[in-house]
Amino acid sequence: MVRGAGRGGRGMPGRGGMGRPPFNRPRVLMLRPPFDLILAEPAFPRCKPAPDDSALTQALLKRHAELCPTPAEQSAVLSLVTKLQTVLDNLVVAPGDFAACQLEEVRQVGSYKKGTMMAGKNVADIVVIMKTLPTKEAVEGLSNKVNEELNKLMRAEGVGLVSCGSHERGFTVTSTGPASAAVRVLVTTLHQNLRKLEPEVHLDYKVISSHLAAIRHSRWFEENAHHSSIKVLIRLLRDMCARHTGLEPLTPWMIDLLAHHCIMNNPARQALPINVAFRRALSLVAGGLFLPGCAGLPDPCEAAHARAHTALDLAAQDAAAATAQTLLRVVARGGHRYVLGLQAFEGGKDISTEITVWDGVVVSPLAPAYQETPEPMDTDDKDDDGVQDGVAA
Amino acid sequence: MMAANNYFGFTHGGTQYGAATAGAAYGGQTGYAVAPAATAATYGTQRAAATGYDTAYQAAAATQAAAHAHAHAAVAAASAYDASKSAYYQQAAAAYPAAAPPQPQPAYDAAAAKPAYSTPATYTQNTIVVQGGARAGGGAKPYGGVYTHSHSHTATTAAASYPAQPYTAPATQPPKQSANRGNTAYDTALYNAATMYVAQQNKTGGGGGWKNYNKGGVGAGQQRRPKPPPKAQQLHYCDVCRISCAGPQTYKEHLEGQKHKKKEAAVKLAAAGASARAGGGAALRCELCDVTCTGADAYAAHVRGIKHQKVVKLHTMLGKPIPSTEPTKLGGAKKTVAGTPKIAFVASGGLSTVASTSNKDQNSPQGDKDKEGEEKEDEADTEPEVQPVGQDYIEEIRGDDGKALSFNCKLCDCKFNDPNAKEMHMKGRRHRLQYKKKVQPDLEVKVKPSMHQRKLAEAKAQRLLVRDEIWARRRMHEGMEEEERGYWEGGMEPWWPRGPLPPHHHHHHHGMGVPYGPVGPVGRRPETSDDRHVVAKHADIYPHDHQLADIQRVVSHTEKALKSLSDALADHARPKAQTGNKPGQIDKKDDKPEGKEDGRDNQLFSFVGEGEATGAAAEGGAGGAGGAGGAAGAGARALKGVMRVGLLAKGLLLRGDRDVRLVVLCHDRPTVTLLKRVATDLPLHLAKLKTASDECKYKVELLAAEGAVQVSDGHVSVLVSLTSAVMREPAEGGDIKRDDKDVLPRQKCLDALAALRHAKWFQARAASLQSCVIIIRIMRDLCRRIPNWTPLNPYAMELLVSGVMQSAGAALSPGEALRRVMEAVSGGLLLEHGPGLRDPCEKELVDALGNLPPQKREDLTASAQQFLRQIAFRQIHKVLDMEPLPKVKHATGGWKFPRKRRRSNTDTEGDQPNGEGKIVKTEEKMDASENSVKK
Repeated sequence: MVRGAGRGGRGMPGRGGMGRPPFNRPRVLMLRPPFDLILAEPAFPRCKPAPDDSALTQALLKRHAELCPTPAEQSAVLSLVTKLQTVLDNLVVAPGDFAACQLEEVRQVGSYKKGTMMAGKNVADIVVIMKTLPTKEAVEGLSNKVNEELNKLMRAEGVGLVSCGSHERGFTVTSTGPASAAVRVLVTTLHQNLRKLEPEVHLDYKVISSHLAAIRHSRWFEENAHHSSIKVLIRLLRDMCARHTGLEPLTPWMIDLLAHHCIMNNPARQALPINVAFRRALSLVAGGLFLPGCAGLPDPCEAAHARAHTALDLAAQDAAAATAQTLLRVVARGGHRYVLGLQAFEGGKDISTEITVWDGVVVSPLAPAYQETPEPMDTDDKDDDGVQDGVAA
Repeated sequence: MMAANNYFGFTHGGTQYGAATAGAAYGGQTGYAVAPAATAATYGTQRAAATGYDTAYQAAAATQAAAHAHAHAAVAAASAYDASKSAYYQQAAAAYPAAAPPQPQPAYDAAAAKPAYSTPATYTQNTIVVQGGARAGGGAKPYGGVYTHSHSHTATTAAASYPAQPYTAPATQPPKQSANRGNTAYDTALYNAATMYVAQQNKTGGGGGWKNYNKGGVGAGQQRRPKPPPKAQQLHYCDVCRISCAGPQTYKEHLEGQKHKKKEAAVKLAAAGASARAGGGAALRCELCDVTCTGADAYAAHVRGIKHQKVVKLHTMLGKPIPSTEPTKLGGAKKTVAGTPKIAFVASGGLSTVASTSNKDQNSPQGDKDKEGEEKEDEADTEPEVQPVGQDYIEEIRGDDGKALSFNCKLCDCKFNDPNAKEMHMKGRRHRLQYKKKVQPDLEVKVKPSMHQRKLAEAKAQRLLVRDEIWARRRMHEGMEEEERGYWEGGMEPWWPRGPLPPHHHHHHHGMGVPYGPVGPVGRRPETSDDRHVVAKHADIYPHDHQLADIQRVVSHTEKALKSLSDALADHARPKAQTGNKPGQIDKKDDKPEGKEDGRDNQLFSFVGEGEATGAAAEGGAGGAGGAGGAAGAGARALKGVMRVGLLAKGLLLRGDRDVRLVVLCHDRPTVTLLKRVATDLPLHLAKLKTASDECKYKVELLAAEGAVQVSDGHVSVLVSLTSAVMREPAEGGDIKRDDKDVLPRQKCLDALAALRHAKWFQARAASLQSCVIIIRIMRDLCRRIPNWTPLNPYAMELLVSGVMQSAGAALSPGEALRRVMEAVSGGLLLEHGPGLRDPCEKELVDALGNLPPQKREDLTASAQQFLRQIAFRQIHKVLDMEPLPKVKHATGGWKFPRKRRRSNTDTEGDQPNGEGKIVKTEEKMDASENSVKK
């Protein structure tokens, strides 16, 4: 399935439609990567001394230190994950009388696995691949079983208790020890079972496939993005995105890809300094990396042509770009302490939505460009896509 | 039955032998010619022998003499074979000199000995086993085993291609045989085997076991039809269907009836596919009625049922043995023993017969033991009973008193009131199927052995296969497109370090998607809406032809006038050479009127004739780069040449632009005196040029502060600046002081020089980039319209745009180019921490942006950011300040034939009401005008 092949992806998350016949793609609009100053350096040689960026670097490092989880948190989540992994592994190897579902594999994914956990968000993720189909009852059964086994284990060690709460992605195991930690158990199933899923009986297709994607993501990350600078940048960006409304919709996976791109993708293939990479990240998003019609960041874990940012809807893409654009100008004026969250801006206001004055220079936020129109995106190629879908369906 | 099968298999194998040999013969070299003939002959004999003894056994009264004859035949065959084989070896050795040591080389050996090999394999084995069998006395059954073996062996031989033989042969042969690989040993073994085989056949030929065997085996074809029971009874009993018929008539009718035939076929099928059914799991079978039940419950129900009771009654009446009501597991070996011998023979699966016998027969061959072992494992695997599944999915519906009233199976969407029914349901096929479908895809649900269902399953598998294939192709297709895209965008830095993709993306499958992929180079890409808008806007701001013509005319006239003025000045400076030079120059002009009449090619229009001092010419040609040495040249002109600079030279004139610039290069520092001279004399020369057609008046103004004169005809004004390359050098102190009053302002002169260089840079670099000039025009318009952009000086803007285009690495369409410019500015390129715009026309690092104040930079960036998002969200018309163009109406075919559509549109541009025709026209016009500008 080709996602967002047409200009300006329809912002459809997931890759639902299986019905499109294979060979009728009208044409390929070759999307361009956005302007990237690091890559365009030969065309824009620096003709004035580079500004002193040590203030920004210091601020970035300071903020990163704040964002790192404390040892107590780390050990709490580590012990919970280890126990849960043990329990689940046992269920994989020797299910015994447990018949609610059959487990194929258990994998750690997400920020815990990647080593990008943030302070205060002590939640690890584990994906459980079921051999059986993930019915809601199966998830419930697994949750109960895990709860029971885990509590048995905890009692044996005499450390607190855990509780399990189901949700549409699986269930969450929360430990109520001295340092709280939680593990989200994300349920998915074997790849060949995906097409057998039925919406009423099983967990949502999108959820299931996103969990499978999460496994691919962590594997990719392990292989490609193990550089510490990337992890530092990921923490900083995730924190920044969490604090600015416009950037909130960016998924962790997009941030991972963005951080990896900013640190590693340069002519020398050497990790860039954190300050350069941070500016680059802002300037890429501001330069429309995540806007429709841009090649964006190709998703290495999806089929060809998939772009990471098409998971956002159009309004979110617009908002993300606009926010990054404002933040870029704020940082350029020396407002990085606010952007990074080292300093609260006027009682916690979102700096990306306020008019600010820096040394007499007025920095103002931008108006959204995206408009909800009854006939969205009146362009020929968009139109083509629509027609195509209609015909194909 | 099974023995019969094998028996036939053997004969069949014999046939295949012949075929195999023949094949070998044909496949061989010419050197083989003799040997294969011999082999074939041998085999023919042997084959004959085999068939011969077939018939002999059918007769079942083979005489000793006949046996002897057989023996003779066989021995003769063997010896003949031997002979042929040695010949064959020799021949083969000759034919394959490459296989130097023929004897020990295994491949060769095996290959050459292939026809021989397979034969002894069976024969030898026969010998062994039959000896054992003879001892045990159960002749027929061991034979079954043995023949199975031979059958499989020959089958392998026949199936395997010649070169593959070395692999299959050792695998199927007993170790003893492979030990006999040596040539002589082999021969003896073969001989022995053959002899013993024949002898053995003869020996057993007379045995009663064989007779029995034959009866079953040979008659297997017709034997299906059950004979009337041996006891002459009033009842007519059908063994297959296990029913009795009232009279012979009904019995006959029954035998010919549909039901019986079906049953018969089923029995046959069961016999043939016994092994397939054996793995089926825990199905229970009522021997008596030959009914298979899926579970213990079903079996119990059956036993209680009236049908079963009827059969029991009948069998009791017939005096037939009634098997115990204990169910027999399907596929189990023992069941066959239960019935009467004949019935057992009919119904037993082939393999099970062997297995059951080999249970008793300790001397059975190894292969059979293995089989038996497998069988036992199979039995161990089968669950005793179907486990109920999906308890979780059955909800109890309770009444008010909390008693379970009914049950609802969520999977199958059905209800039952009885707990037993629930139990049954949970074990039932339908429920299990649902469970398999919805919960556990790998749950084993026994498929009914009905042909219809099997066909359905096959069809489904086929469909799945096709679908997979389609997906695989599709992925290939996409992978290919990706590749192609990489190809077209090649030369660019790899945008993304490809992570390890799942392997299925690495298909190369060209020819599949090519018609849909981007076939042509980038220029043929479909035009996007952005492109159309930009092009339309460009057409809008591009000056009219007559405007351009006006400007061209005025500039041309000015240039010519300057030339003539320069000539006049030169004449004035060198009166002595006047007479000599003048005609020469005129000649030159006449000689090359098409060559250089004015500065139309935007290069330096040198006033210096070729006849003049070469030193001066070189200076002039160098366009300001020349040295000061020219000053010493006696024949140097004061005005060396003129060049168009700025908008005119760069082709950036927009509609409404009236001011163009010329720069006159002077030999020495241009002085006010010189400027005044030019200002006063130029009108005269202009007037001289004014030939018939021109009636417009040129007005020449002196702008001393600018270091220029302005020529204007009321519409177009041409600013002629005087400068000199000498101005660049830091003049010595004394010089400056002396000339200070007279020399034109230095900065103005330097600006003029810079303008010269910019024009040259533009022509060399920017103009060649696709879309660059268009976008610079668009950006000029933008800078004119939008206050935020006004501070961006034109040269900086040109640098910006050309840098952006250059860094793209590939040609950009106009829409993409504009967007990319906006991306660059949005990304903070022009902000203070950015790299700045290096001026390529200066030796030192100079930022072309100069001292753009921070607020201006901020505003510029913010504006570009807004524009970028507007472009991304289909509002490029807002950026360009124009009406949105209507959508392109697709002619026919819609998306299916995009290229075709485009072509047809271009062809029939006249009747296109939308923007498309306009664009085409624009493009044509643009081309034409560019041609005219460049010429």
